[in-house]
Amino acid sequence: MLRPSPRLLLLLPTVTYRTVAFVEAARRLGVDLTVASERPSTFEQANPTGLVTLDFADPARAAGQARAFARRHELHGVVAVDDDTAVVAAAIAEELGLRGNPVAAAAAARDKHQQRQRLAAAGVAVPRFELLTTAADSERVAGRASYPCVLKPLRLSASRGVVRADDAAGFVAAFQRLTAILEQPDVARCGDWARQILVEEFVPGREVAVEGLVTQGVLTVLAMFDKPDPLDGPFFEETIYVTPSRLARAVQRDIAVCVQAAVGALGLREGPIHAEVRHNDRGAWLIELAARPIGGRCSGALRFEIREAGNGKRETSLEEIIIRHALGMELPTLEREHQASGVMMIPVPGAGVLRDVRGVGEARKVPLVEEVVITAHRGQTLVPWPEGSRYPGFIFARGGTSEAVEAALRAAHAQLEFLTEPAD
Amino acid sequence: MSAPDVRITAEPIDNGRCKFLVSEPIHAGGVRRFASSDEARGSPLPEAIFAIPGADVSEVIVSGNLVTVVKRSPAPWPVVGKAVGQAIRAALAGGQQAVVAKPVVPGTATADDALYERVADLFESQVNPMVARHGGRVELIDVQDAVVMVRMGGGCQGCGMADVTLRQGIEGMLHQYVPEVKGIVDITDHTAGSNPYFAAAKK
Repeated sequence: MLRPSPRLLLLLPTVTYRTVAFVEAARRLGVDLTVASERPSTFEQANPTGLVTLDFADPARAAGQARAFARRHELHGVVAVDDDTAVVAAAIAEELGLRGNPVAAAAAARDKHQQRQRLAAAGVAVPRFELLTTAADSERVAGRASYPCVLKPLRLSASRGVVRADDAAGFVAAFQRLTAILEQPDVARCGDWARQILVEEFVPGREVAVEGLVTQGVLTVLAMFDKPDPLDGPFFEETIYVTPSRLARAVQRDIAVCVQAAVGALGLREGPIHAEVRHNDRGAWLIELAARPIGGRCSGALRFEIREAGNGKRETSLEEIIIRHALGMELPTLEREHQASGVMMIPVPGAGVLRDVRGVGEARKVPLVEEVVITAHRGQTLVPWPEGSRYPGFIFARGGTSEAVEAALRAAHAQLEFLTEPAD
Repeated sequence: MSAPDVRITAEPIDNGRCKFLVSEPIHAGGVRRFASSDEARGSPLPEAIFAIPGADVSEVIVSGNLVTVVKRSPAPWPVVGKAVGQAIRAALAGGQQAVVAKPVVPGTATADDALYERVADLFESQVNPMVARHGGRVELIDVQDAVVMVRMGGGCQGCGMADVTLRQGIEGMLHQYVPEVKGIVDITDHTAGSNPYFAAAKK
């Protein structure tokens, strides 16, 4: 008798960029797929096995909904694609006995203050931090703060709302600016965390992003990305990621050890992680760790090689690895391709309504550039950081060296011209 | 129009599929899909695309000014895409039809025509009323060799959940109501969508 395909529950928020990558990866692997979102698909009644609505804002409730679904359709694995759904996936995994993280670990990774507390308690190097409420007397706090420091919301993603302050006046201005972001209706209704601000020491140094897969609490580093543009503030919009890292091997080892320690301190057991780490003459500092894969379209910069009989080889994607891991399928490789690879999250060119993007064809012609994707649509309002969090597009390049890839990304970006009009 | 004036924009969907938007119409006679080099024989453009060395092209779909290429090779699109671009320019400069009309093969056309009718009914009665709730629409472009070709518009075009609608919604309904359908291909230029129902943010 044929064994039925395993069924994966894929948690896809409706605002994710990750839809095509994960849905097509599941198809390539031949797994049965149920897509869960926080808002109903118009096809949910027509395909009740393949589509389900879960309350992503309430992980315990979502787990109950998943339990009810699983009574009708057995589930063999659950995958989250972003910060919020990582906690939901953990709750569902616990509820259904699937491979996943403990809820407490996923929740601690989700909340920057909880994360800092756990890491500091476990001796992982993190910036000194203090939790404030938006009702705090910012001038008074500014008088006793150490500078430079960074003010952060507890949960917003893509460095939205993260601002550096170099003195008391800068602190007060940053506090007011972040409070205004937290008071925006889409944020304010999200919970108590939207009335809190984390203030932490600014840690100078080279920053890298670490993409990893955790199995039974043990980290495998899948890729380490250099971030060659200095992220010194005042805002922290990302730009270029290039792998392999050009940092010395010993430094890379330090960073991997730091991330493994953070994984252990948080209690993460299974699944992808994405960490931001700084390194300076005092060692590796854990800046953020999320129990999810790399965001946006950036996973397109990662390919993994499967060697086959003879000299043949084929490639697999990060999403296929994550799905295989969640379902307990064999992992044919965790080895990244030999070429250097990189992605540029295209910076927001300024505030305004996007009217056109010129030079895309020229950017694509730059040697080593593989893809230029403009994700912003005409008529979309572009919002710079720290209020904004949406990049207008992505550039991908591959080549023999990280230096060449970085140069290609910069050259391609230089070809782009964004035409905008002032917003009403 | 000389070949150098032709503008071609590549839009990779993933490492296996890429759409090429051409500034000039390639094929005005509806959609043509070629699933092998044998099928492409007689049509200069798909013939040339299937012949690209090392690309291992498995499918070419031509509709208006859009060429969709599916390949099996891990070769990156910038490499394969340049050869596709050259093939498109050469075909347009060649003076003859880049894609000839589909020959009528007894039985096949009738089968596809019958499928088209049933799929069109399904789209009209069920699919489009559903996507209309999100301001979307799905246009049935053609059925060839039991493969359905669609173009999404309105709120579906550029929507972050368009692939879920396609795979978990429309494909599932086709499987249920028209099980003879072998596949579905989305030939939408999603980058041109100006009013997607769900717009993506970074994480």
